[in-house]
Amino acid sequence: MDKILDPRLQRLTLINEPLPAKPELDQLPTFEVFVKSRAARPWRHEGSLHASTLEMAFVFAKEQYSRRGTCLGIWVIATHDLFVTDYADNQTDIYDQFTEAPGCSGEAWEVFHMYKRGTQHTHAGQVSAPTPQAALACARNALERPRPVLNAWVGAAGKFRKSTPEEEAMWQTTPEKLFREAIDYKTNEKIKAFKATQS
Amino acid sequence: MYGGGYLFEKTSPDLLKEEDQEKLAAFEARIDRGEKIEPHDWMPKLYRQQLIRMIEQHAHSEIIGALPEGTWITRAPGFKRKLGLMAKVQDEVGHAQLLYSAAETLGKSREQMIDDLINGRSKYSNIFNYPAYTWADSCFISWLVDAGAIVNQVANSKGSYGPYCRALERICIEESFHLKFGHHCVTYLATGTPRQRQMMQEALNRWWYPMLMFFGPPDKISAHTEILMRWKVKILSNDETRQQWLDMYVPKIWELGLTIPDDKLRKNEETGKWEFTQPDWEEFKQVINGNGPCNKERLAVRRMAEKRGEWVRRAILVKASNKKYVTPLA
Repeated sequence: MDKILDPRLQRLTLINEPLPAKPELDQLPTFEVFVKSRAARPWRHEGSLHASTLEMAFVFAKEQYSRRGTCLGIWVIATHDLFVTDYADNQTDIYDQFTEAPGCSGEAWEVFHMYKRGTQHTHAGQVSAPTPQAALACARNALERPRPVLNAWVGAAGKFRKSTPEEEAMWQTTPEKLFREAIDYKTNEKIKAFKATQS
Repeated sequence: MYGGGYLFEKTSPDLLKEEDQEKLAAFEARIDRGEKIEPHDWMPKLYRQQLIRMIEQHAHSEIIGALPEGTWITRAPGFKRKLGLMAKVQDEVGHAQLLYSAAETLGKSREQMIDDLINGRSKYSNIFNYPAYTWADSCFISWLVDAGAIVNQVANSKGSYGPYCRALERICIEESFHLKFGHHCVTYLATGTPRQRQMMQEALNRWWYPMLMFFGPPDKISAHTEILMRWKVKILSNDETRQQWLDMYVPKIWELGLTIPDDKLRKNEETGKWEFTQPDWEEFKQVINGNGPCNKERLAVRRMAEKRGEWVRRAILVKASNKKYVTPLA
């Protein structure tokens, strides 16, 4: 190996040979993350992450999905706790598959809609029902949808880790961290002054 | 950050003959209409395979790309530069997480991807196999390598695979700070004392040809790339991204009174294209095959991280053992 330039590594022993194969279970469960960026916007799916517990997923979600921009709150749920519908064909509504409402009471469910391919799922509302399929049948009439829904996700409200109003304090200092913003790095004056010395 | 010059597997278009022709036609019609493909949609094997490969290489590049800059955090000149660089490196690692997730939706687990990286089975952007000797090298990366990555990422965000596009949109927004931060760092060196200026010029001389290589070898249009372009896996050719970068950044480099180590570099006003001395493509091949100045060091660092983090993973896996791993949704 050539001379290592990293000051930390000059002091450490590096491993050159392949590592032994990892045990098959060396894989953490995945979680889905929803963020509310502003009061007027719905909760929106931002992405997924790996963590060992719901609480750890919540901490990672804060770092990963609200590090650079502030927000009003975060919801996290284990991927396997979400019920996922098929994708509807164009012009058809996924709700056409959920017509029989067997009585809309029981557990509370959060329902998310995707209206167009390429966009993210957004929160449509909460319904009460005995099962996720029933929740969709209930949501069909109870929740507004501006256009046909392509794909829906349903998760029991109790399975989410939702940020509380008190926890909003953790985003308070985000806007002060200007060193993460492009706007804090102005070069025009410096370049203008430099050009003046050159001509 | 990542450039073009993805290494796509050489696969034969014959593979398409085995596909269900009706489904294939519907898939292609969807892309032609400008619609995105989502994880649960039917897709040809070749599409899935090449996308996994591309997104995975991109993710690895974010992780490995954080190494040359990461080592400069403690030595960055002043508190403000340290804060800025630390935030940038944190972003890059975050980008890798987003990209690994996007690749995972196609069916390859993150653990498998990391395993392939540290055992040398996967590629990443070639430029990170070159060393960052001085602070000015780190500044070059922050500004100009990121600029190259943005050209490529903006193009790819118009691709056909939904989760990759969404990850890239997020990444592009964050990269705008990297670009400004890098330009600020380079500007201050280039317009500073004669020694600072010399340091910046020397870094530019070192990085110029690796930077041209960053976009990949000149295009040879094959049936293979033609399919990838039709499916909007690859959006711009290597030469197109290289030209775009030259067009946007050569004037900005000159503006700072820096010189580019190529007498032949000029814009042909008739063709509107930049003419330049080709980098040594044999060197490119050598570096990509593991013989660059830092290839072994980069992987060794990742192996060390893997080894040192093992006890943490083992400790938290116990808690996770009641939950089965499932592919993330989008």
